[in-house]
Amino acid sequence: MNNIIFNILRFLFLLVAQVAICQHISLFGYMTPALFLLALFLLPLELPLSLQYIIGFATGFVVDAFAHTLGVSSFACSLTMFIRPHIARMLNGSNNVKFENIDRPIPGVKDFRWVFLYTLILSSIYQITAILLETMTFRNFGHTLLVIFGNTFFTVFVILCIEYIFHPRVKTES
Amino acid sequence: MNNLIEFFKKAFHIIVLAVLLIVSIVMLGKSLAFNDYSLSRVVQSIVGPIQKSGASMIHRFRLGPENEQLVKQNIELMRERDNMFIEKTDTMLTEMSKPDSTNTKRMRMYDYTYAHVIFRTTDRTFNYMIVDKGSNDGISRDMAVLSPEGVAGVITDVSPNFSTVRPILHPECRISAVVTPANQNGTVIWEGTDPHVANLEAIPQHSEINIGDSVFTNGFSNIFPKGLFIGTVKEVQVGNNASFLTIRVSLATKYTDIYTVYLVENLYKAELDTLKAHFKDE
Repeated sequence: MNNIIFNILRFLFLLVAQVAICQHISLFGYMTPALFLLALFLLPLELPLSLQYIIGFATGFVVDAFAHTLGVSSFACSLTMFIRPHIARMLNGSNNVKFENIDRPIPGVKDFRWVFLYTLILSSIYQITAILLETMTFRNFGHTLLVIFGNTFFTVFVILCIEYIFHPRVKTES
Repeated sequence: MNNLIEFFKKAFHIIVLAVLLIVSIVMLGKSLAFNDYSLSRVVQSIVGPIQKSGASMIHRFRLGPENEQLVKQNIELMRERDNMFIEKTDTMLTEMSKPDSTNTKRMRMYDYTYAHVIFRTTDRTFNYMIVDKGSNDGISRDMAVLSPEGVAGVITDVSPNFSTVRPILHPECRISAVVTPANQNGTVIWEGTDPHVANLEAIPQHSEINIGDSVFTNGFSNIFPKGLFIGTVKEVQVGNNASFLTIRVSLATKYTDIYTVYLVENLYKAELDTLKAHFKDE
C-alpha cells in the first residue's frame, strides 16, 4: 500500500517536472530530456501487463497534451511499456515469465550495467518512435538522427543521474 | 468456447495494447489533419488554463527586461508627439507655391532618453535625486526630467556616469506653467514640506480658476516642451494683499516611488542661450 502511494507520488512529481521544466529545455536547440520516462521505468514489473500499457498511454497523453503533439508520446510510451518486460527479461538472462518483487529495475537491486542498458534501450526506443512520429518524414534524416541521438543521450544521462543520486538503500540478497 | 476464453485471457494485454496504439494513431492523424481542431480544442480547454498560469508565473521573472523594452518603446512614441517639433514657414517656398502645408518645415526641437532614479530625497527642504546616466550617456545640464506621470525636475549637475536632478521639490526650481482652461501663465514653486503639493504663483486675481483644473508646462523656459502635465489645482485662495491668487497644485509625479524617468533634451538650447546671454549683456 505504502509502495503504491510512493509510486503515484513519484509519478506525479516526475510528470510535473517534465511538463513544467524539462519540456522547456532545449540544449543546443534540439536536446530535450524525457524525464517522465523514469517514472515508467521504475514501475514494478509484476504489474498486470494491460495496466502497464494503460499507465504508459495515460502518461504519454498528458505529456502530449502539454506539448501539443497529440498521439506521439502516447504511442511511443505504450510501445515502450510493451517492450519493457522483454528487455528486462533479456537482461536478466532468463526466460522466467514471472517477475519477483526483487526484480525491481533500480540501482542497488541491479548492477550498473543492467540499469544502464535497460535505460538506454528503452529510452532509444521511445525517442526513435516519438521523434519519427513527430517529424513524419525521412527528409533531412541526418538531422532527425542527430535529434534522436541527442535526446536519447540527454534522457539517459538525466535519468541515471537522478537514479544514482536518490539511490535507495536496499538489502541485496546474493 | 473454453478455448476462446483461454485465448482472450492470454491475449488480453495484446488487445489492450492494440487498442491503445490505434487510439494514439487516430489522435495523431487527427492532429495532423488539415483544419481539424476538434480534438486539440478539447485538450487545449483543459490544459490551457494550467499552461496560462504557469506562463504568467514565469513571466513574473521577466518583468524587468520587459519594462526596459516598454520604456524604450514609450520613448519612440513620445519622440513623435507634436510638441517635440517646431514648425517654420519657409518664406522662399511660400512665394512660389500655394499657401498650404507643403511650405512649412518641421524641425525636431526636443529629443528623449531615459534613466533610472537610484537615490532620492523627499523630506528635506532642498531635495534632490540621482539618476544612473551621465555625460557618457549624452546627458547634459538643464535637461528636463519627466516621470511617467508628469514633470519631475531639471538636471543640475552631471558626472561621467551619474546626474543630479533638482526636482520640483526644491525652492529654487521654478517651472513656468499654464493653467487650463483659464489659459493663465504662472510659475510653479515648491516651498512647503509636503512632497505632493506645490504653489502656482503669479496668476492674476481676476482669472477664473476652478479646483481640478490642469496645470501644464507652457514651453517658455527652453527646458520643458510645451504641454507636459504638472498637476491639478487643489486649492484656490484669494490673497489678502497682492493682486495674485494663491493656488495649491497637487503634483502628478509621485516622488515617493519614482524609478524610471524620461530626460528631455532641447536640441536648440545652446542657440537660445546665446541669444539670452546677449540680452543680458546689453
